[in-house]
Amino acid sequence: MKVFRRLAYPYILWMSIMIVIPMLLIILYAFSKEGNDVATLSFTFAHFIKFFTDPAFLNTLWLSLRIALITTIFCIFIGYPIAYAIAQSSIKKRTFYILLITLPMWINMLVRTYAWIGILSDNGLINQILSFFHLPTTQLLYTDFAVILGMIYNFLPFMILQIYSSLAKMDKSLLEAANDLGANRWQRFLKITLPLSLPGVISGITLVFLPSVSSFVIPKLLGGGGYLLIGNIIETQFITVGEWNFGSAISMIMAMIIMLSMYVTRKFDKRNTGNKRGDLS
Amino acid sequence: MKNKNFLRKLLLCITFLFFYFPILYMLVFSFNSSRSLTSFDGFSVQWYEKMFSDRNMLEAIYYTLVIAILATVISTIVGTLTAIGLSKSKKILREMVIQVNDLPILNPEIVTAVGLMLFYVSLHIQKGFMTLLFAHIAFCIPYVILSIMPKLRGLDANLAEAAMDLGATPLQALRKVIVPQIMPGIVSGALIAFTMSFDDFIISYFVTGNGVKNISTLVWTMSKRINPSINALSTIIVVIITITLLLVNILPVLKEKAEKKHSKFSKYTIRIIMVVLALGISGGLFVLNKSAKTMDPQIAIEKYGSNVLKVFNWGEYIDPEVNAAFEREYGVKVIYDTFDSNELMYTKLQGGEAYDVLVPSDYMIERLIKEDRLQPLDKAVVKNLSQVNEAIKGLPFDPENTYSAPYFWGSVGLVYNKEHIAIEDLMAQGFNILHDERLKGNIYFYDSERDAFMIALKALGYSMNTENEDEFIEAYDWLVQLNTTMDIEIVTDEVIDAMINGNKDIAVVYSGDAAYILSENEEMGYFIPQTGTNLWSDAMVIPKNAENPKLANEYINFILEYEQSMKNSLYVGYASSNAEVLDVLSGENGEFEGNEAYLPRIGNVRDEIFAYNEKTKKWMSDLWTKVKIAK
Repeated sequence: MKVFRRLAYPYILWMSIMIVIPMLLIILYAFSKEGNDVATLSFTFAHFIKFFTDPAFLNTLWLSLRIALITTIFCIFIGYPIAYAIAQSSIKKRTFYILLITLPMWINMLVRTYAWIGILSDNGLINQILSFFHLPTTQLLYTDFAVILGMIYNFLPFMILQIYSSLAKMDKSLLEAANDLGANRWQRFLKITLPLSLPGVISGITLVFLPSVSSFVIPKLLGGGGYLLIGNIIETQFITVGEWNFGSAISMIMAMIIMLSMYVTRKFDKRNTGNKRGDLS
Repeated sequence: MKNKNFLRKLLLCITFLFFYFPILYMLVFSFNSSRSLTSFDGFSVQWYEKMFSDRNMLEAIYYTLVIAILATVISTIVGTLTAIGLSKSKKILREMVIQVNDLPILNPEIVTAVGLMLFYVSLHIQKGFMTLLFAHIAFCIPYVILSIMPKLRGLDANLAEAAMDLGATPLQALRKVIVPQIMPGIVSGALIAFTMSFDDFIISYFVTGNGVKNISTLVWTMSKRINPSINALSTIIVVIITITLLLVNILPVLKEKAEKKHSKFSKYTIRIIMVVLALGISGGLFVLNKSAKTMDPQIAIEKYGSNVLKVFNWGEYIDPEVNAAFEREYGVKVIYDTFDSNELMYTKLQGGEAYDVLVPSDYMIERLIKEDRLQPLDKAVVKNLSQVNEAIKGLPFDPENTYSAPYFWGSVGLVYNKEHIAIEDLMAQGFNILHDERLKGNIYFYDSERDAFMIALKALGYSMNTENEDEFIEAYDWLVQLNTTMDIEIVTDEVIDAMINGNKDIAVVYSGDAAYILSENEEMGYFIPQTGTNLWSDAMVIPKNAENPKLANEYINFILEYEQSMKNSLYVGYASSNAEVLDVLSGENGEFEGNEAYLPRIGNVRDEIFAYNEKTKKWMSDLWTKVKIAK
C-alpha cells in the first residue's frame, strides 16, 4: 500500500509554500520595524505594545468580540428551533427545506448584504412602513442593530445546517426507548435530543463566531465608514494606511484569540460528548 | 398535534421570508427606472442594458467563472490524491499535515488573505490572474481534503490490496476500487470548493490586481455609491444559481428513474442534457471572453510596444465613453482600475503594481516626485497642456508641470439644506457650525483623514499644513468632540445619494459631488467658510515602473482634449482642467450655470493646497482611526 503514500508528497510541498510561509511572513512582519520590504527587517515589540497600551484599539477588539458573541447567541437561539422544525418534517420536505436554506448561501455575500441597505436606510422600506402607520421613524442603517442583523442574515444558515445534520443523524430508537421507559416530551428533549445535537451546535458556533469576529465587509456596508471592527482596522492598515507591520501584528493577535477560543470549544466539545456517551451507556 | 404542526409551519415561513425577502427586494429594484434603492419609480430594464454594455462587469463574470472552475477541478484532483496518500501514510505525518491543512479553515479569512498578500509582495510577484487562481486553489484544497478524509477512514483497506493481488496496477486499484467508494466525499468537496471560490471576496480583494476583478471585488468598488446595476447583476446570478441547483437536484432523480426503467432512451436524454449544459457553459465563457477582448492588437503593438494601457483612477471619476473612445481611436485595450483614497493608491504602487497612468491629488504627487517614483511627461506628445486653466498650472508641487497634467480640481465645503439652515449662521460659524447643538444627529462627515483634519484646523483658525503638534492635538480634540457629542455619520460617496434624498441637513462634500447634488436637489446649497478650505487638484502622472509610457502620454493628451474633458466634466460634475470647458459649462446656458459648487473659489488667501509631510501624515492617519473608534 506504500505506493499510494507518494500521492501526498506534492501537496505537502505546496502546503509548505502556500500555507506555512505566508503565516511565517505575518509573524515576521509583526515583529519587525516599519518598512514594507522584507529585506529591511529588524526585531521589535513596538506594534504589540502600541495595540495593547491604546484603549482605542482594545475597545475595538472588545466591540468585535461582543458583536460576534451576540450574533452567535442569536444564531443558536433562532437556528435551533428552525433546525428542529426541519428535522421534524417528512423526508421529502426536508430536502426541499435544506435546499431553500442553502440557496441564499450561493449568492455572493456582498450582494446579499448590499440588499439590506435599501431596506434599512433612513427613507427605506422599514421606515416607510413605520411612517405609513404614523409611527416614529428611526435610524436603522449604520447602527449596531444593522451590523448584527447583517451578520445573522449571512451566518445563520451555517448554524441551521450544522444543528440539522446532527439532529438528522440521531438514532430515533433512543427516543422510543425513552418513551417506553416513561420519559415525557421535555425529558426526552433535555436528556436525549439536546445532548446528542450539541456537537452540531458547537461546530455551528465555530462557523458563525469565526467569520463574524473578523468580518469587515458587513460593518463597512451596514455600519458605515465610522463603524470599525477589528477586521476593518486590519484592512485599513494594509490597504489604505500601508503599515503592514502593525497590520500583521493585529492579524496575529486576532488569529491567536480565535485559535485559542476554537481550542477551548473543541476541548469542551470532546469532554462534553464523551461524558454524555458515558451517561447513556 | 395540529397546533404544533401549525407552529412549525409558521416558524419555517418566517425563516424563509427572512432569507428571501432581501433577495426579492433586490430583484424588484433591479427593474427600477430611477437610481433610488428606496422608492420604486417605474419599470425599466436600463440597469440590465447598462450591465451588458459594461465590459468591466462581463470581465468580472468571466474571471469569476474561470477561476471557480479551474480552482474546483485542480483542488478536487489534488485534494483527492492527497487524502488517499495521507490515509496510507504514517500517523505522525498524517496528523501533522491535517493540522497545517486546518490552518486556513480555522484562521479568519482576512489573516489568510493578508499572509498570501505578503507572500506575493515579498517575492515581487505581480498581482493578477495567476496570483488569484493560486490563492483560490490554496484555500479550496483544505476543504476538499476535509470532506474526503472521513470517507477514507471508513474504507476497507484490504479491498485495494485484494485488487492488486488479483493483478490490478496501483492506478487501476485507485480508479476502480478506491475512488468510487469515496465518490460522495469527492463530490461534496468539489461543491464546497466551487462555492468558496465563486463567492470569495476577502482573499481575492487582497491578492488580485492589474485589472483582474471577480464579481465580489467589482461589487465592492461599485457599492461605494448606489448603483442599481449591482441589483441587475445579482438578479442574474440568483437566476443562474437557482437553475443550476434545481438541475443538480433533479438530474439524479431522473437518472434513478431511468435506471429503474432500464430504458436506454432516458439514459441518453440525461447524457444529452449534460453535454448541452457543458457546451452551453463553455460557449458562454467563450462569448464573454470575446467580448472582453478588443480588435487586432498588431498595429498598436508596433507603434507603442504594447496594446494595453493600465489606468488607475478614482472611482466614478470618468465617463466610460471616454475610455471606449480612446480604445477605438488607438486600437488598444484600457485596463481601468479605481481607488477611493490616495493612500490606497500609494499602497498598491508600493506593492509593486505597474500602472501606466495614475490620477493622484496634489500632496500625493508631491510625495511621488520626492520619492522619485514618477517619470516626466513627454511634452512633445502632451500638447493639450496648453488648454489647461492657468489657475491650476504650475502649482507649487510641480511648478513646470514636468510630471503632472491636471485632471479635475475643486474645493471641500458644506452642502446644506437651505430651508433648515440659515446662511447667516453659516457665515458666522464657518466649519464650527458642525458643533452647533441644533444640528445634532443631522450631519454627514466625510471619511478622509486629511479633510477631517483640514476642517478641524481651519475651524480653529490654523493652517491645514501646520507642523505644530499642539495644534494637531487641538484639532484631534475638536474631532473627537464632534464624533462623540454630535452623533455624526461618517460616510464616503454614499453621501451623494443621501443628500439628494435630503436625508440630513448638512454634509461635508467635495465641490464636484456638491455640484451634482445641487443640480439634483434644489433645496441644497453649497458653502465654503471664509476661514479657508482645501483647494485640491487631481492630476495625471506616469509612474517610473509604467510598462507603456508612450501610450500613457497619448492617453493623457487625449483626456485633456476639449471634447473628452467636456464629456468627463458633464458626467462627473467636477470642475474641468480644460479652461474652455470650464467657461462653457459655467457660462450662460451651460449645464452648471448658476451652480455655486461647480466653479472653484479663486482668490481667498486662506485657501490652501495640501503639502506632503511625512510626520503629519502619520499623525493624521493614527489620530483619525482613533477619532473614529472614540464613539
